[in-house]
Amino acid sequence: MEEEDEEARALLAGGPDEADSGAPAAPGALPALCDPSRLAHRLLVLLLMCFLGFGSYFCYDNPAALQTQIKRDMQVNTTKFMLLYAWYSWPNVVLCFFGGFLIDRVFGIRWGAIIFSCFVCIGQVIFALGGIFNAFWLMEFGRFVFGIGGESLAVAQNTYAVSWFKGKELNLVFGLQLSMARIGSTVNMNLMGWLYSKIEALLGSAGHTTLGVTLMIGGITCVLSLICALALAYLDQRAERILHKEQGKTGEVIKLTDVKDFSLPLWLIFIICVCYYVAVFPFIGLGKVFFTEKFGFSSQAASAINSVVYVISAPMSPVFGLLVDKTGRNIIWVLCAVAATLVSHMMLAFTMWNPWIAMCLLGISYSLLACALWPMVAFVVPEHQLGTAYGFMQSIQNLGLAVISIIAGMILDSRGYLFLEVFFIACVSLSLLSVVLLYLVNRAQGGNLNYSARQREETKFSHTESMQADGDMEVSWMMRTQKCRIILGDICFTLLKIYSNIKIHNGQGLI
Amino acid sequence: MRYSVERGWGWGRCAPSPLLLLTLLLFAAPFGLLGEETRQVSLEVIPNSLGAPQNLLHIRAVGTNSTLHYVWSSLGPPAVVLVATDTPHSTLSVNWSHLLSPEPDGGLMVLPKDSIQFSSALVFTRLLEFDSTNVSDTAAEPPGRPYPPYSLADFSWNNITDSLDPATLSATFQGHPVNDPTRTFANGSLAFRVQAFSRSSRPAQSPRLLHTADTCQLEVALVGASPRGNRSLFGLEVVATLGQGPDCPSMQEQHSIDDEYAPAVFQLDQLLWGSLPSGFAQWRPVAYSQKQGDRASALPCHASPLHPALACPLPQSPIVRAFFGSQNNFCAFNLTFGASTGPGYWDQHYLSWSMLLGVGFPPVDSLSPLVLGIMAVALGAPGLMLLGGGLVLLLHHKKYSEYQSIN
Repeated sequence: MEEEDEEARALLAGGPDEADSGAPAAPGALPALCDPSRLAHRLLVLLLMCFLGFGSYFCYDNPAALQTQIKRDMQVNTTKFMLLYAWYSWPNVVLCFFGGFLIDRVFGIRWGAIIFSCFVCIGQVIFALGGIFNAFWLMEFGRFVFGIGGESLAVAQNTYAVSWFKGKELNLVFGLQLSMARIGSTVNMNLMGWLYSKIEALLGSAGHTTLGVTLMIGGITCVLSLICALALAYLDQRAERILHKEQGKTGEVIKLTDVKDFSLPLWLIFIICVCYYVAVFPFIGLGKVFFTEKFGFSSQAASAINSVVYVISAPMSPVFGLLVDKTGRNIIWVLCAVAATLVSHMMLAFTMWNPWIAMCLLGISYSLLACALWPMVAFVVPEHQLGTAYGFMQSIQNLGLAVISIIAGMILDSRGYLFLEVFFIACVSLSLLSVVLLYLVNRAQGGNLNYSARQREETKFSHTESMQADGDMEVSWMMRTQKCRIILGDICFTLLKIYSNIKIHNGQGLI
Repeated sequence: MRYSVERGWGWGRCAPSPLLLLTLLLFAAPFGLLGEETRQVSLEVIPNSLGAPQNLLHIRAVGTNSTLHYVWSSLGPPAVVLVATDTPHSTLSVNWSHLLSPEPDGGLMVLPKDSIQFSSALVFTRLLEFDSTNVSDTAAEPPGRPYPPYSLADFSWNNITDSLDPATLSATFQGHPVNDPTRTFANGSLAFRVQAFSRSSRPAQSPRLLHTADTCQLEVALVGASPRGNRSLFGLEVVATLGQGPDCPSMQEQHSIDDEYAPAVFQLDQLLWGSLPSGFAQWRPVAYSQKQGDRASALPCHASPLHPALACPLPQSPIVRAFFGSQNNFCAFNLTFGASTGPGYWDQHYLSWSMLLGVGFPPVDSLSPLVLGIMAVALGAPGLMLLGGGLVLLLHHKKYSEYQSIN
């Protein structure tokens, strides 16, 4: 029993030193790669975990990378094209409340990951078949199925991460998972157009069949994700058998009745979030053709610019995470990020300056906002409502994305790109208005959202009992927040939370 | 020598420099070519006193101290002669016997002759067709293997008296080849719809070119003709008289940020017969393959650079020769509509392209009031809220002193 406890602790504590000093004979018979308590094996599992989400992120932005081709081959206008994004978001309006529940109570993490991977795979195949059979409704249905699996798979991915890695390693793991997500999106943007032209050369003509074949080949990444899910399930079960460790749980608790207790600052944070992201993601979805037609870029260059937001967010997120952690003053950072996005959209709308400048600015502000905004939810909501708060935030965000995607398509077809940009500027302006209002309300109420890091430390030390979360709640909180941001972009909040938690738990007699 | 295409960048305005504007304002009175707000427009089909009716349309737009004469005709290839005078009393005189003779010089005159400030002409000589299969570079010239072109001088036209509409100040020339052995135009026609305007406005029909009282609009529509290939691109050959001096008129591409009126079209092409204010032709480099002309049916339109039309003999237009005499110095350029992929003429056997022809400063698109309003609110509201809230907090703060807690 003690041996097993030691091994379990070795797994949970992480790090090769403890594993070496702790574990005695029995698992030593296995080679390092097959031993669940050794680092080498866990690195293998890490690799599988990273690729688990790769297919989903790769295929999410397939429409954006192939916008011209889809519109031409399927003979649809922009409004119908944007339905491909809207249908991805519709199931997640409801599902983000239930993702954790499904994994904890219904399927378990292993089957959950496999089932969601299957949904992703099948969804992408149906999407491709819609192209082959020239049925746009089938493509929409495929995106719907894909959406059911996509976001919940991210929850599963995070649950695995927390189950296999704890403490200081978790930062690195989340960071790597995020990087894989962003690499997937970037590779998609830059690869799919080229792949389409190669298939076109092979088959001899453009058309819906070429599109379908291209999407089917893109779906190979989803099959890869499914294989990773199966492998992870096997390895997880094996580790449970060897180490007697429990299946991972999300630990989320969702109670919809908690919504009535949400405070005004929280509602303002919701508005900021929704209004901001609806001006970023639909823009990226429609961006490639914008750069081709307004600035005269080639298809490849336009794809590259479109992917710049993702490329920047991967390295900058940890940097900004540390920055916000060190300085605090979240609202000011959110204000800077939203204002910078406003400037970026204005540059794209009203000038002919090189769009690389505006897109780099957009990427930077997008990373900064995620680092500063999402932690604020944890500051205004008590622990037991955190699951509901984040679930609600994600739900309305998906609702906003679904609706605004369609509206953006309609505006573009009838009024053109300038009006679309003005519409996005109006959305960002609404977000900016909410930030200003949040600042004023926070000041008036004497709230803690805009505390500097030092003020927050001082407040923490005098309220440590409320910060001492038990294992499940900590996991749940990290899970929830991480899930949201992996989907939208970054790791900084984890750094902030873990960093501050480590500082508390490593106490040094501060408690 | 390359008769180059200039690129103008900016905020959507082909704005003359302030110095030029000032200079022009000083010279406004004698020139009279600067925009009249409204004009009295009259359309007149000039009857042939000598026999069978020929299509000769005279549009007379009279302002307070200038007159614009547009003479449209399908005698020979479709052509337009544009004359601007500095008096509201100038008239057109037509000598049919001269006009219909082999030497039409002097058959068309605007009197009094010394009141003429500007004159130019455009002739639409040929309808081109290219086979665009296996062509990947859509900006290449020519955009594919050319089929034998249709010479518009060999078309037979309808009687425009029937299509004259005084309410909209428009008339339509509709024609098909006289000799059509392959019966490509059996169910089709090429139409030139001419419309004059008495004041500035913007039509609802794409491409929604802003017109003024100093312009008239031409819409070229190819309907129902059978293409000679699966992926045929059509084009139009246009011939222009020389600008000021011995050079060809200059072609300019105006890039703008504003595509409100023609979604995804950020460019305006202009043909200028001299330094402004002068005669101009203006169009958006887009054609439409459906009647309602939305973004899904937009075809790119490429204009070739202007080259002097010396080498190959072009179909002669009698009215141009009648007015300008027998000079042979013309400049030609080609317009091609569509690309090998995407929407094209093959969708509905319909193609339409519009242009403006006028005198003075070409109309410029500006941001609509809706856009300006939204921007004002979007930028103003957060700023005002920040200011207001800051003031309130400041006053609130001054009321209460800070409470220093003991511990």
